[in-house]
Amino acid sequence: MNQVWRRGILYVAATGIEGCWLYALMALLNKQVADEQISISGILLLYPVSFGLNKMLQKLRWPGFCLRIISWLLWVAGVLLIVKIQLFGGLAWADTTWLLAIPRAIAGVIYTFKPALLILLSAAVIWWLGRRLAYLRVSFATLVGEFQFGLFILVIILFIAAQLKVDLAHSVYLIAAFFLFSLLGISIAHALEGTSWLSGLYRGHWSGLLLLSIGLVLILGFLISLVVTPDLLHLLLAGLKWIWGLIVKAIAFLISLFPAPKSELAELPPPIPVPEIGPSQEFKLWTMPEVLRNGLRLGWTVLMASLLVFAMWRISSQIFKWLRRKLASPAGAEYEPLPGAFRADFLGLLKYLFFKMLGLRRLFQPKARAGPLLPEIVSVRQIYRQLLRWASAAGIARHVSQTPREYLYELAGKMPEAEGDLDLITQQYVRTRYGAWLPTEEDLHRLRQSWHHVKQCTLGDRRKV
Amino acid sequence: MDKVVREVSPEVKEAADRLTSNVSKVIVGKKETIELVMVALLCEGHVLIEDVPGIGKTMLAKAVARSLGCSFKRIQATPDLLPSDVTGIHYFNQKTSEFEFRPGPIMANIVLVDEINRATPRTQSCLLECMQEQQVTLDLETVALPRPFLIMATQNPVELEGTFPLPEAQLDRFLLKINLGYPSEDEEGVILSRFQQGNPLDSLTSVIEAGELLELQKLCRQVYVDDSVRNYAIAISRATRSHDDIKLGASPRASLGLHLASQALAAIRGRGYVMPDDVKYLATPVITHRLIPKTEARLRGHSLEAIVRNIVSTVPVPVEELT
Repeated sequence: MNQVWRRGILYVAATGIEGCWLYALMALLNKQVADEQISISGILLLYPVSFGLNKMLQKLRWPGFCLRIISWLLWVAGVLLIVKIQLFGGLAWADTTWLLAIPRAIAGVIYTFKPALLILLSAAVIWWLGRRLAYLRVSFATLVGEFQFGLFILVIILFIAAQLKVDLAHSVYLIAAFFLFSLLGISIAHALEGTSWLSGLYRGHWSGLLLLSIGLVLILGFLISLVVTPDLLHLLLAGLKWIWGLIVKAIAFLISLFPAPKSELAELPPPIPVPEIGPSQEFKLWTMPEVLRNGLRLGWTVLMASLLVFAMWRISSQIFKWLRRKLASPAGAEYEPLPGAFRADFLGLLKYLFFKMLGLRRLFQPKARAGPLLPEIVSVRQIYRQLLRWASAAGIARHVSQTPREYLYELAGKMPEAEGDLDLITQQYVRTRYGAWLPTEEDLHRLRQSWHHVKQCTLGDRRKV
Repeated sequence: MDKVVREVSPEVKEAADRLTSNVSKVIVGKKETIELVMVALLCEGHVLIEDVPGIGKTMLAKAVARSLGCSFKRIQATPDLLPSDVTGIHYFNQKTSEFEFRPGPIMANIVLVDEINRATPRTQSCLLECMQEQQVTLDLETVALPRPFLIMATQNPVELEGTFPLPEAQLDRFLLKINLGYPSEDEEGVILSRFQQGNPLDSLTSVIEAGELLELQKLCRQVYVDDSVRNYAIAISRATRSHDDIKLGASPRASLGLHLASQALAAIRGRGYVMPDDVKYLATPVITHRLIPKTEARLRGHSLEAIVRNIVSTVPVPVEELT
């Protein structure tokens, strides 16, 4: 199999991985929102179309802005075509009702979620993914990322489907296909590159960790879906209500123990007559328009959902980052298979996790506070922190094990024009941080100038970095 | 924090430069190795030079010894070498009818123990007290060794027949293990031309006196080590104890050695403070020989150097945090 074929298979694998979780997501939405009015396969066809068209557009060598506009115009055309075929198949092309379906769906989004809107959103995601793939060089790291994200989304979808008691058609085949695409792509990419983080000292751990992580995810998903059911939630709610009732009763009982205060007035004065206010006047003062209320509700829901997705994605990324760090290895180490190594690795990992969990209690212990630093030292450290943040945003993040000097060589290699300024910043930082050196006003002035130069000479072309 | 400007006296750097240029008259290239030997001298730590035959191990030791105006003795380790051949003996003087102490070759400032792994464990063990406590106990008498005291031992890792691997307790007493490595093509050419007329070792003169060396050692102890850097050195040592491939990790003596050696290296490079780079650079020569790898790691072909590099590449360096 030559390189071209292998690259082709990598693209197919990436498409397959994304296609699987997209299919599952759309099947769920189709059942819940669109009453199965739309054909998922028809919309998914946009993926290869987007990939192919964007690949062709790439070859035109036009400015990126033009290509982007053309690409999204094609997307609009594709969406309209799908809406016409799937929702207005019986309508004549001359009848423009189908053209207004999407604007109407957007206008009425507060009141109802129409299938046309689902087509619009899903087509946008699919088109974007296809375009992204066209510009992407599929590598081992990409496929691992795709697998990580896809598995996470799939588990979430299956969990939600189980909770809503939605029967997702072909879910077993879907999962099987997902793993097939993922493992095929990852193994081919690994064979192609041979320089990944799995080719070093600890690659013997890989199979064990992969199986363990898959197993853990599935077991956790299964346990959660078993335990957290609507019945359980109702039960918990009833329990909370019962406890609250008890508290109220207890308070009432305590109040009843005190004698009621004797009123000195024999009779209350007659109530002051309240002028009649019509319902229209009353509500005009206190209620907000229904449209605004719905808009705010939608915004709030979107915000919460985004935060939830972000938090889950972050946790998942952290786990995989840890696994990668655990497997990081120096180049050039030789590997020899050893019987029993898997068992030892597996037990070692469990032991590590156990002790890591024990170590969590340190998080709750108060940290020792260092004494206040002098403002000159704070300035130097702050500027260096800014440099780190800036370089990190530009894609040259410092590795935790890199010393400032090592990091300087890396930065200077990427920005030779700023080498002198970077050297000055690093030198001052090193002397301040490790040598308890106190910079003078002149030193600080030079430091600020250098930092300004560094920002200036690269801000114009951040891609260079 | 008070205003503190960390400067170091330039004497250490000047002395190191003098020694390097003097030794370089004999040893071609290998400036980093000579720098490491200087580190050991300034820490009064012992050096184990390990490499294949013909690389210049003994020559380096002899050149360093000659560059120092100190007493120098050489012990050629053989399987029939006895502890008394090293430490000295009490012999009966028939003229005075008394037992007298005849000092062995260990009673010198610089002692070269050539091919140390050819000596039997019994003889190797007699060096333990000398190396750590800088004294020798003979019969009921304890004799202090002259200061500065430094053992430079060489060993050949290839030949195993008729050799006795050094025990861990002794390896731990060596501050540094140095590998010379083969010279480059150009360097080899220079070696041939330099040795054509005669041995340049014969014309070598001393450039550092014993008293001066003791003063330099005191100056090195004044080099500032920030708490974060000290913790970094400790973290590296501790990481070796929990590493999956290591059966026996680095001892607290290793942490101490790393700390002292970092101070010396900083002073040699003209700095009054230690940087994490110093610790990182010295981690391999200071720690590697003190570790015992697990059998699985050995079978997998993981070298100790690779394991230490791996450890160093995972321990976080104390730098500003972005969060």
